[in-house]
Amino acid sequence: MRVLLVEDDADLSRQLKGALSDAGYAVDHAADGEEAHFLGDTEPYDVIVLDLGLPKIDGVSVLERWRREGKTTPVLILTARGAWSDKVSGFDAGADDYLTKPFHTEELLARLRALLRRSAGIASSTLSCGGLRLDPRAARASVNGEPLRLTSLEYRLLHYLMMHQGRVISRTELVEHLYDQDFDRDSNTIEVFVGRLRKKIGPDRIETVRGLGYRLTPLPGESEAT
Amino acid sequence: MTDDSGGAVDTEAATEPRAWGRWFGRPGRSLTRRLIWLASAWIVLALVLTGWALTNQYQETALRRLGNVLADTIDEVVLASNAQTDGTLAVSEVKDDRTLRALSGKYWAVAEPGPDGRLRILVRSPSLAGESLTIPDELPDRLAGARGAVISYNDPDGLRPGGEGPLGVPLRVAASMKQLPGRDAPVVFLAGIDRSNIDRDTQQFATFTWTALLILGLGLVIAVFLQVQIGLRPLYALRNEIADVRKGRAARIARSYPLEIQPLAEQVNRLLDHNQETVERQRTHVGNLAHALKTPLSVMLAEAGSAKGPLPDMVRRQTEVMKAQVDHHLRRARAAARAQMLGEITPIEPVLDEMAVMLERVFEDKGVVIDWRAPEDLAFRGERQDLQELLGNLLENACKWAKRRVRVSAGATGLGQMVVVVEDDGPGLPEEQREAALLRGARMDETTPGSGLGLSIVVELTRAYGGRISLADSELGGLRAVLELPSAEC
Repeated sequence: MRVLLVEDDADLSRQLKGALSDAGYAVDHAADGEEAHFLGDTEPYDVIVLDLGLPKIDGVSVLERWRREGKTTPVLILTARGAWSDKVSGFDAGADDYLTKPFHTEELLARLRALLRRSAGIASSTLSCGGLRLDPRAARASVNGEPLRLTSLEYRLLHYLMMHQGRVISRTELVEHLYDQDFDRDSNTIEVFVGRLRKKIGPDRIETVRGLGYRLTPLPGESEAT
Repeated sequence: MTDDSGGAVDTEAATEPRAWGRWFGRPGRSLTRRLIWLASAWIVLALVLTGWALTNQYQETALRRLGNVLADTIDEVVLASNAQTDGTLAVSEVKDDRTLRALSGKYWAVAEPGPDGRLRILVRSPSLAGESLTIPDELPDRLAGARGAVISYNDPDGLRPGGEGPLGVPLRVAASMKQLPGRDAPVVFLAGIDRSNIDRDTQQFATFTWTALLILGLGLVIAVFLQVQIGLRPLYALRNEIADVRKGRAARIARSYPLEIQPLAEQVNRLLDHNQETVERQRTHVGNLAHALKTPLSVMLAEAGSAKGPLPDMVRRQTEVMKAQVDHHLRRARAAARAQMLGEITPIEPVLDEMAVMLERVFEDKGVVIDWRAPEDLAFRGERQDLQELLGNLLENACKWAKRRVRVSAGATGLGQMVVVVEDDGPGLPEEQREAALLRGARMDETTPGSGLGLSIVVELTRAYGGRISLADSELGGLRAVLELPSAEC
């Protein structure tokens, strides 16, 4: 497993490098944003540990560039500030997990293992509907190439709609597939989630069929096979 | 905080006496009062002068007209007078009818200065009916000093036949000393006329004028009052808007104001912006400090963690203490920066959404489902960063302890208040530990790092916003955290 460690503090880098090597990773190290971006862009890493406060280019910008260029390598960000706004901007840029400094090394190793487990075997058959794409194994969705940030309930709803696209699906059916057995069922929750989903994927993809339910269709003009 | 509420109470209590004092207290303290007093003083002065000039002018004109009539009568009498050779004076018939009827109101007489200096009547008009015109003592001297001129005076007592009686009417009298041909001694011609009509007219005119001016004056003062009130209304509006900003009901001065105070409103806005920038800068400094300290702390923690022995143990313990200290003081600094913030409003829904998406991703291994509900128009009266901090920590805690489910519901509870309930289906927290968890924000379980720390931030932030947090059992089986915060609509 190859890991890219991006950290500008020399002592911390040395320690983490040692710990990662001991845990069996092949570690490359970058001390600033430019070098990190270059390495991440050219080498096929399995996972990246990215400090947000970096010289030259900050961590969030580096991450944004990778994601824009189509890199899907899982990234764990290290933040010193511990403020939630930093974590949120990291996630918006495409991070998969975060750790607040100071942290225990074992914690970092555990998180990395989890990330690798999750990303294993990502390339899989995807569902699509017009500009919408959904990868069931990675549990990721995108619209026109832009990754969608969905909560798991929204994801489940979209997944079900995409599996049955073109068909009118009743609220009851949706509720049953949205919630596990023991979750409370309230049919107007579907309206709430459809509303939220429409905000994220565009208002016209999910059609309300009065009295019957909902139907997912490609937008007019979007070809099915994009 | 205490300053704030104290100030509010003062303002409320002072409203009643101030309304009175604004108009009648010392003029230096209120613009309104100053404007109204100045205008009123000027109006009163101008109107009094006008009234005085008008009534005076009216009386003068009337008396001058009487004077002309009297001068004509004197001329007529002079023409009709002939000095006789025996030293007496004969006045042939004077045509004027009114001088013929007894006590008609128009009289004449001819007199000459006697040896004692007093005037002695020689001839009198039939209308005098034997009475005499009143002659002031100093008249002969004045006439002698201005021979040929006509001197007029008022006779307030008027003509009283027999000294007393209802016929006492005020007279206007004119006198002139003339030299008649054929007579050495000068002769004084007197003419008198009833003045009561003129007096009555003057009186009526004065009454009318003063009444009209009084009404005009009152009208003007009312107009000034209204003008000042309406003119200063934008100032009151601005005051209210600034109060709204201070109380956090608005972020900026939004209305547009008249040319004169628009710059003031803009300066206030600029001040608010500056304030915001200062807070942001402080935040950045604080964040930089955190970054600068925490990386070395990480190094020490990792270095000590990988070694065995008393020294590494001591270093590890002390590092934890330092870390807690840094966190504590950073939070204090952030809270201080926050105290200056005014008027921010943050919608709840987007923050809950981003937190849910992010934390579900972080806890993906566990398959945690965050089911959240919030009205779209519900907003937190405070900063986005703080709301992220509050919800982030509570939700992270819930996700950490949850087996599968985390439920969040937010809603408005009343005027300017809202509640966020975060529940999980984890093991929950025994009642006796809840208090401690909130009081100290203590780290409850060393195996789940940072769990206590997050709660202490939540407690401190909630307090800074004047909200409340409480812990209870959830029907899902785990902990139920209830967060009460100031709200707004967006």
